[in-house]
Amino acid sequence: MKASLIIRSMAALTASCLALAACGSSAKQSGSATSGKTVTIGVSFDLLNAIRQAEKAAIEKAAKTAGYDVVFTVADKDPQKQSSQIQDLIQTRKVSAVIVIAQDGQQIASSVSLAKARNVPFIAIDRAIADQQDVTFQITGDPSADGRLSAAEFSSAAKTEPLKVLELVGALTDQNAIGRRDGFNAALKGDPNVTIVSQVPTNWDPAQALDGTSNALQKNPDINAIFVPSDFLLPSVQSALTSANRLAPIGDPKHVFLVTIDGDQNGCEAMRAKTLDADIATPVDEFGRQAVSAITTALGGKAVNPRTVQTRGLTLNQAGFAATSPQVWGCVA
Amino acid sequence: MRSARQWSVLALRRQPLLPVWVVLLLTLAGLYSGFGTTANLRNIAIQASPLIIAAVGATFVIMTAGIDLSVGSILFLAAAIESSQALISAPAGAVFLAIAAAGLLMGLLNGVAVAMTRVPALIVTLASMQVFRGAGGHITGQQNIDLPAHLRGIGTGSLLGVPAPVLLAALTAIGAGMLFSRTVFGRYTQAVGSNRAAALNAGLPVRSVTAGAYAFAGLLAAVASLTQTARLGAVQPSIGDGFELTVITAVVLGGTSLFGGRGSITGTVLGALVLTTAQTGLVFSGASPYVFDIVRGGVLLTAVIAAGTRWRNLAQTLRLPGRSSSGGGRTISSA
Repeated sequence: MKASLIIRSMAALTASCLALAACGSSAKQSGSATSGKTVTIGVSFDLLNAIRQAEKAAIEKAAKTAGYDVVFTVADKDPQKQSSQIQDLIQTRKVSAVIVIAQDGQQIASSVSLAKARNVPFIAIDRAIADQQDVTFQITGDPSADGRLSAAEFSSAAKTEPLKVLELVGALTDQNAIGRRDGFNAALKGDPNVTIVSQVPTNWDPAQALDGTSNALQKNPDINAIFVPSDFLLPSVQSALTSANRLAPIGDPKHVFLVTIDGDQNGCEAMRAKTLDADIATPVDEFGRQAVSAITTALGGKAVNPRTVQTRGLTLNQAGFAATSPQVWGCVA
Repeated sequence: MRSARQWSVLALRRQPLLPVWVVLLLTLAGLYSGFGTTANLRNIAIQASPLIIAAVGATFVIMTAGIDLSVGSILFLAAAIESSQALISAPAGAVFLAIAAAGLLMGLLNGVAVAMTRVPALIVTLASMQVFRGAGGHITGQQNIDLPAHLRGIGTGSLLGVPAPVLLAALTAIGAGMLFSRTVFGRYTQAVGSNRAAALNAGLPVRSVTAGAYAFAGLLAAVASLTQTARLGAVQPSIGDGFELTVITAVVLGGTSLFGGRGSITGTVLGALVLTTAQTGLVFSGASPYVFDIVRGGVLLTAVIAAGTRWRNLAQTLRLPGRSSSGGGRTISSA
């Protein structure tokens, strides 16, 4: 009984604190909104990792330049949670516009409809929305093009030495992972010097990437190239190569040709250490700049044109490292 | 005196997964060159180690008819604490002790919440899963953090030719097996899972035992974290995401009943080895990436169906009309 009483009291206290916090937050938000001067952008991300941190910083930088406030939420990869958060941003916090990285491009449809009904501009970045009819503006990378750019690096290297490639694949439910895989495979189809000897799914899980790479190296010890579909799997691949005594800089006979995508700090460090051959960098700053620019246009009562933009990644390879790295977000962070 | 054949039959009856694993190994070794090599078997053992360690802990929880969905998040939070400024440059021994203590505390929080309230373990650990993952994200800032060399030895080093993670997993399994079958705590754990009401009536310290099982699971999840992050060489925000399902699959596949009261540590170790061997076999087979998820889901489904069938067989043997919420009449078996 005593324990029950203590727990109930703690629950009541916690609920009271949350209610007070919510009241405080609402009061602050409504104060800004009623003044009619401050534009507040509600941002909903699917998750938070290194590239999302960079995207968040890019949005905040662009918003600050435009004189806008930002309210930030993360859905922890839960589409229902994201839907609730966007509903809260639009209905309770009464934001002027929302910028969303959708966890699920299909399930986000109800949030897009809500924004449309409340006349709140809905901006999608990084991940495409399935039904774009009511989306104000969308800017994404071009995963297929990124895959093709990666493939071009393999084709180029294979001119001097034929490559036997391990291809890691991200989550099979992620359009970015599928796009990168498909673009990569399509571009290398028919290349006589490049053979994909193993294709291993990672589900974007570092442990699966480590185990999958180790297993593939056991099966095919003659693998001399690996396609890593995201920089954040790079430490796993490097660990597997270290265990197999295969992590060596470019020029060393043991070197395994590596290309990855994203352009984060891991990738940039590996480029500097010359253990990574190329990195296809996502234009993160462009996402933030164009998203906020679209909000300004939409709030001004004008149509955003074009409504959909796909940006190709920037190839950072060893030959052009000095010239290109200042444009890569992971190298300047 | 039992003959060798009798011992073999008894062992097979107790661990039907053992021949499954052996057949799986032999089949894959026959099909794919390079699979049966010492290097690859060592590779499988290393890969299975974090899973074995975490699953052995989870066995105690599931034995009490509980569940711990926060295993993956404990693993991540432990890794995050390891990578924090306060610990990352500390001596390895001090770091390992601190992480073990942190895991024990996280598990204890779960255990106390489950034992002291009537909230189902599923809900308690679902909530703590989010709390722990959020706390880990706060500590790391959702960034990759490289581990210094002195903290990687537990995942990449070896002693007398035995890889450190394998040694740690073996010691954990042996220690947990003894705890399970030769101590009062182990017996009480099985009794609580077998029939909680009867255990209460018999005056067993049900709450303490329940809290202890979760604390032990938390401790081993943290130890698993130490080996996993050491192998990866870095702490990454997605570490441990979904790991709880793999852990539960290994435990259930090993014959531990989701309804509690029945199971073994040896079975859990075999469950983890079967899962890892199958995973490695899939890479060797060159199967489509889509097949990997099908196999993983299929193994879980098979394990759950097998567990259900066992219960029905048991109920028929004991002439029970069906499983009631009080869970009367379950058997207790040891490792």
